[in-house]
Amino acid sequence: MNFAGTHRNSIREGSRIADGAIYAAALLIAFVTLYPMYYVLILSLSAPEYASTMQVYWLPKGFYLGGYQKIFGDIRLWTSYRNTIFYALCETVGMLFTCSTFAYALSYKKLRCRKLVNAFLLIPMYFSGGVIPLFLQMMRMGLYNTVWALILPGAYSIWNIILMKAYFGTISEALRESARIDGANHFQTLLYVILPVAKPIIAVIALYTIVGVWNSWFNAALYLADQNIQPLQLYLRRVLVTSEIDLVVDLTTAEEIRAAQANLLSDSQLKYTVIIVASLPMLLAYPFFQKYFVKGVMLGSLKE
Amino acid sequence: MSHKRSHRQLQGDEWQVYALMLPAAILILIFSYLPMWGVILAFQNYRAGNPLFSLIGVDWVGLRWLKQFVESIYFGRILRNTIRLSLLNLVFGFTAPIAFALMLNEVRNLRYKKFVQTASYLPYFVSTVVVAGIVLSFVDMNGLLNNLLAFFGAQRVEWIVHPRYFPAIYTVTNVWKGFGFGSILYFSTISSIDPTMYEAARIDGANRAQQLWHITLPNLMFIIAVQLIMQVGSILNTNRDLILLLYRPSTYETADVIGTYVYRMGIEGGKYSYSAAVSLFMSLFGVTLTIVCNRISNKLTGYGLW
Repeated sequence: MNFAGTHRNSIREGSRIADGAIYAAALLIAFVTLYPMYYVLILSLSAPEYASTMQVYWLPKGFYLGGYQKIFGDIRLWTSYRNTIFYALCETVGMLFTCSTFAYALSYKKLRCRKLVNAFLLIPMYFSGGVIPLFLQMMRMGLYNTVWALILPGAYSIWNIILMKAYFGTISEALRESARIDGANHFQTLLYVILPVAKPIIAVIALYTIVGVWNSWFNAALYLADQNIQPLQLYLRRVLVTSEIDLVVDLTTAEEIRAAQANLLSDSQLKYTVIIVASLPMLLAYPFFQKYFVKGVMLGSLKE
Repeated sequence: MSHKRSHRQLQGDEWQVYALMLPAAILILIFSYLPMWGVILAFQNYRAGNPLFSLIGVDWVGLRWLKQFVESIYFGRILRNTIRLSLLNLVFGFTAPIAFALMLNEVRNLRYKKFVQTASYLPYFVSTVVVAGIVLSFVDMNGLLNNLLAFFGAQRVEWIVHPRYFPAIYTVTNVWKGFGFGSILYFSTISSIDPTMYEAARIDGANRAQQLWHITLPNLMFIIAVQLIMQVGSILNTNRDLILLLYRPSTYETADVIGTYVYRMGIEGGKYSYSAAVSLFMSLFGVTLTIVCNRISNKLTGYGLW
């Protein structure tokens, strides 16, 4: 009797009460995931005296843009913002380069020592030297406190190589063969034949890398002591977790220190403003890119 | 003839294939393999300025650091905390995405379903630092949680400084951040179930609960089993990045895990060899656990990671 809807797997029979309960539960879940960020948004727009005691619930109280004004003048925020974009760019380009080249070799039918190469990839997925040896190694290599300490380890991922190889495996062998017969060498085959038809996996890996770089903080905390090269997340950590409000004001004279203390109230609201400024690009972009993330999860599960 | 070629010289442009492996291979060697060799630190008394990762000219101490760790009060505490937090995550973090996917699958309005799904992915795109910042301000003395408690006439609690609340704060945060994204796998698997199975069940008079139990769940079993093995096998991996942001000395008692202890001792305290030994011991334990879990799963269910 409900054949019209059978192209989907959702189940059509059932009482209205069960339906109501399910819709309500789904709404509750959506609320729980969305409200914290919405809450931060309205706090960032409320007057500092309400925001600092969290006396705001549904709409901004005492609409106030002072937080944003202050934040936009903070050069350190923008420096770290620029650094994050720089790291995301470098690591993504590096990631796509190392993964596609290695995956091309892996998908080469006549590759020698294939077993050895596979073992070479698998071992680091189960064993790792841990944080300490790598940290000392970075120091000894002179990479500590340089941008390379983030970019080089971030420019490869064995998992992504395997994903890319799996995708290359779905590309018709005839395509590659015909390119080879036409006289293309391996470099040309990869660049002009394989990569153009591998756009979906390139998008998946690029997006995962960008989100990963944008949101990670631990490696930067390990290797980067210089604030001028630190990424956004370390700026955020200073403001949100260790509670140093870090506006560029020189606290040298006693008056300046007193003035800074008077600002403390409005500064405590700044963290909500900072959260919004730092998270907005990701939150606005992800609904449009979610199909790629779904694709990535599915590709990953096939390899398990 | 091609199979004979393998012991001869590379043909024509075949060298390019091997050249293409170099960029990734070099990075993997330097940043994955060299640190593996570096675990020999754990058996030395390394001090700044000593030869690094060297077999000669170093002060070998054998298992001294390991012995020191096992005999210290930290050993039991850290193992207990790691396992407690992981088990909580296994019980709630593992089941939440499955329950969510099953529930949302029952929502018939496609746009509503899509909206809830998109909303559930949001926390995945919020960084750990921001999540920790939000949690810290929510559980603050003047935070939302205490405002709610005060509204109902209860006492305000300093949630973040009491060790006994830490496991709950950690688990809720982890589940919140991960359940939506974790459910993608289950959604996709459910949508690939053959619709005629449901049709047949309906004709046989199965109601919704019965269809869920007899069709949807059995079809998810494989993927659930694989996910479970991976989770149990990685029981020693807690979310270090999140704990480092949320814990403080007053909550070390329940919050300190392997990852955070190694970070504190090694990076902050400069006890490189000692913390390398702790880390090595725990990762050997973890690999053993993964292998055992995989064996058991292969025997019981026929599914395994390898």
